This record gives sequence, C-alpha cells and structure tokens, in this order.
Amino acid sequence: MKYLVFSLFFFHELLAYNLKPIKVAHNTYYVEGKKEYYSIENKGDISNTAFIITKESVILIDTGSTVDYALSLKKEIEKITNKPIIHVINTHQHPDHFLGNNAFEKANIYATEFVLNEIKNNGELYLSNMNRLIKESSYSTKVKVPNKILKNKKLILDNYELEILLFKGHTESDLVILDKNTKTLFTSDLIFNQRALATPHADIEKWISTLKKLKNLDFKTLVPGHGEVSYDKSVIDENIEYLEFLHSSLIQGIKEGLEPFEILSNEVPIKIKNYSMFKEEYERSIINLYKDYEQRY
Amino acid sequence: MKKILMLIVSITIVLSLNAEDKIEDATFNDIAKPIIGDKKYIIDKEKIRIKVPNFADNSLQVPIFVDASKIKNSKRMVLFADYNPIPLIADMKVSNILPVVSTNIKVAAETPLRVLVLDENDIWHVSTALIKSAGGGCDVSSLSTGNDEFAERLGTGKIKVFNKKDRKRIKASIFHPMETGLVFGSSEFFINKIVIKQENKTLSTIKTTSVISENPRFIFEAKNKAKNFDMHFFDNDGNEFKLAL
Repeated sequence: MKYLVFSLFFFHELLAYNLKPIKVAHNTYYVEGKKEYYSIENKGDISNTAFIITKESVILIDTGSTVDYALSLKKEIEKITNKPIIHVINTHQHPDHFLGNNAFEKANIYATEFVLNEIKNNGELYLSNMNRLIKESSYSTKVKVPNKILKNKKLILDNYELEILLFKGHTESDLVILDKNTKTLFTSDLIFNQRALATPHADIEKWISTLKKLKNLDFKTLVPGHGEVSYDKSVIDENIEYLEFLHSSLIQGIKEGLEPFEILSNEVPIKIKNYSMFKEEYERSIINLYKDYEQRY
Repeated sequence: MKKILMLIVSITIVLSLNAEDKIEDATFNDIAKPIIGDKKYIIDKEKIRIKVPNFADNSLQVPIFVDASKIKNSKRMVLFADYNPIPLIADMKVSNILPVVSTNIKVAAETPLRVLVLDENDIWHVSTALIKSAGGGCDVSSLSTGNDEFAERLGTGKIKVFNKKDRKRIKASIFHPMETGLVFGSSEFFINKIVIKQENKTLSTIKTTSVISENPRFIFEAKNKAKNFDMHFFDNDGNEFKLAL
C-alpha cells in the first residue's frame, strides 16, 4: 500500500507543471512559458498565460497546451485568490493557447468568431498533433470550443472593463487586450520577447503593420505571448526588425531563384541571430513562408 | 610518376568500391533491390549532397534538396523515403539534365531519405539523410480540394529559368492536390509524370508520386545553354498541363 501511494505520488508529480505566476501590475499576473519548442520534457509549457483578479472573479487570458497545465495553473491562482475563474479568453487559434480550456468547466470562454470556428473545425487535429509531440502529458486533454464571440469593442466582465482590439499578422485573427485600469497590454503572440517569432500561419506584411499600430497605444506594461514581460516599447521595434529581415531575405532569395536551404544558409545579422530559438524558428519560418512568397513574388 | 599516380588512383577506386559498408537495413534493401538489381552500389555521401530540415515541423510540406552534380554523366536518379506508405518520391532520367532536385514531400513518420544515382559505369551511388518529424503527413487529405477555385486553378502554375554559373536552373510550381488516396473517402489524384522539354526535344522524363506535397514546387538544373524550356505535367486522371516560358 505504501508503495502504491508512493508511486501515485510520483505519477502525479509527472503530470504536474511547475508554474510561477509573476505580478506585473495591480491584480495582474502572468506565467512565463519556457523558451523552447514542444517536447515530452517541457510538457508543452512553452507559452505565456496571464490573469487579472477583479472584484468578483478572475479573468484568464489563454489556457496553455494541455488540460493538466491549466489545472496546475488553476492551483497557482487559488493560492493567490479565492475568487472563481469564470472568464477565459483565447487570443488566437494556436494549440498552446487554447488546449487547456477544458479545465474550466464553469467558465465562459471568449474568442473571435474566426478563432472559435478554427477550434471547432481543427481542434482535434491540433490535439492529435500535440499527442504526437508531447505524448502522455496531453492524453487527458480534450478540446473545448469557446462559447462566446468577441467583437472589436469593450468587454465588461463583472464591471471590469477591458478594451478588445482585433488584429491580423501572427495568424488570421490575433487578439490584443488593453487593460486601461492598469495600463497593461496583453499582445498575445503578436509579440515574442527575445524569443524567435513563430510564423506557421503568419502574414508577415500584415504583422509588421499591426506592430506599428501597437506602438501608438497607451500602456506601461506589455505581456507578450512568449518571452518575458516588458516595460519598454522597444520590444515592438525589435519584433518589427525581425519580421522585416525575414521578409526581405525571402524576397531577395526568391528573386535570385534560390531554394529554401540556400536562403537559410545566407548571412543573418547578429541581433536577429541572438534571439533564443532562432535556429529552429528561422528554419521553420523560411520553409513555411517560402511557398507563399514564391507564389507572390 | 604518372604510372604510380594511376596506380594510387585505381587502388583508391577499388578500395572505395570494396571498403564502403553496405546499408544494413531490411526496409532499405527491400525497396532498393528492384531499383539496383544486380548492379553494384557504393555509399557516396561526398558526391550526393542532401539537405533536409533539422526538424520537419510541417509533415505535409517537407522541403528536400539534392545535388549530385559531382557525379559526372549520371544516368538516373531515384529518391525514396523508407517509412512512407508510398516510399518512392521521384525517379528521374538525368542523362540530359543534372542530378539536382528541390521539392517538398509529405512524411508519415521519421524516415531516412535515400538518394540513388546511377553513374556512367553502371554503379549506383547511394546517400541518406534522416528526416526528423512527428509525422502524420500522409494521412491528411489535400487542403486545396476544399478550395472554391479548385477546378479553375488545377494545373495552373509558374515557370522561371535562372542563370547559374555553368548551368540553368528551372523553377516551377503547379496547382494540384497531389492526393494520396490513403484518406478514407478520397481517391488518389496526383501528377505521375513530368517531362522537361527544350525546343520540342525531351531532356528528361521524371516519374513522380503522390508523396510530393500538394501544389508542388520543383527546381531542376540543366547544363544546357539554350533557353526555351517547357514542362509538361501528367496526372493519373489523364490530364496534361504545360508550363512554358
């Protein structure tokens, strides 16, 4: 019996995530994901989640890659507040931002119509891919489709007002949340802080123009989708620079008749190379974007 | 002096023919046997350059680049991936073009990519690259068949020729679902032959399979100086599509 308890304890430990919410503004926290690609070891803990504690409840922004991640997050939130998590927002269609939804049975889950449909139609595909990538940690995960549609306007939850801004670039529908109460901007994956940008569904030109718009917003704290929180707008410029580099090296390569690996072997500025995960993401980006650029240029 | 040099060269050749180890892999041998037949093969990583991603994130679109142009006067080049349900990728006649190809393929699982090149002395040169991937690329239906403009766009594409130092590079892309037929309810529908012509003379005939990715792109290279290349794509449904400069 002793052994059984012991092994159950270890089994539980294997499933648990080590999450540390960090306070970034009044009643506002975020949990930073590892700057890594999905692996069995990191159990899909690779993206950021964030939450705001209001007078009556907790608003959660994104739910991570698995239900177990979301359950661990729930426990951490319960250590900080006893208010219920009844509002969940999915910022975009990527699995590391919505596969934890099912941990929140009683919550309303908000997303744009596009993201809601994407999760409805391709959620299972994303999950089976996640099963292939991180194995056991994702086996208890079930897809939960958002039940509330977000529009480009103010969202008032339990008298707490958030400004919802809809953009495109990283994907077809990227959500930015501006909390004027604390001047905090939640950019979702439109910003990667010192972590190479992920581009599987990106439109680079739209992304660049979106980032230029973000620079005009009034905020003090920027919570990105990946990488550390930033109290400085220069992180936006850095991302613009990264995307402009991708864009120009693809166009130049296509014009010269290069194939993807030849473009990949071209010189890269040090500043860009220094992003963590540069090697992996740069390869993915050039490979994914190549076909599209080849059609357009 | 010349004789000694010749002797050294011939010893090196004999050694490289004999000393090279064989590929001890049952799957490889099963697939390679009908291609190689009774001929000899040597492992030749130096002359066959293969590029694959460090990790193939999108198993539906995995780029591969092969350059075996260091093998002079080669006759045939065959590409296959051991663990794909349809192993063969392409079988190219390369007497009048170079043994060079760049395209995107689907991978069902992590798999070795094999490139076999037949040289002028009837010896096969073999090289391998491992494609690391989470897989799943062969059991997903084509995305473009759901496209509204599917019928209109089928077979449309682009062809361009680029001048490289000593050769011409022919780059083409064509709209085609390249359906494997492995998905329940779908039937196979893919380009099974490409003919590269130059002023009505056939330079190369290339057998292709449905493991080449949807809306395929290709790069081929020719030693040729002349310009007017055109490419003819044939699919298993009897269509012929021509792309000309």
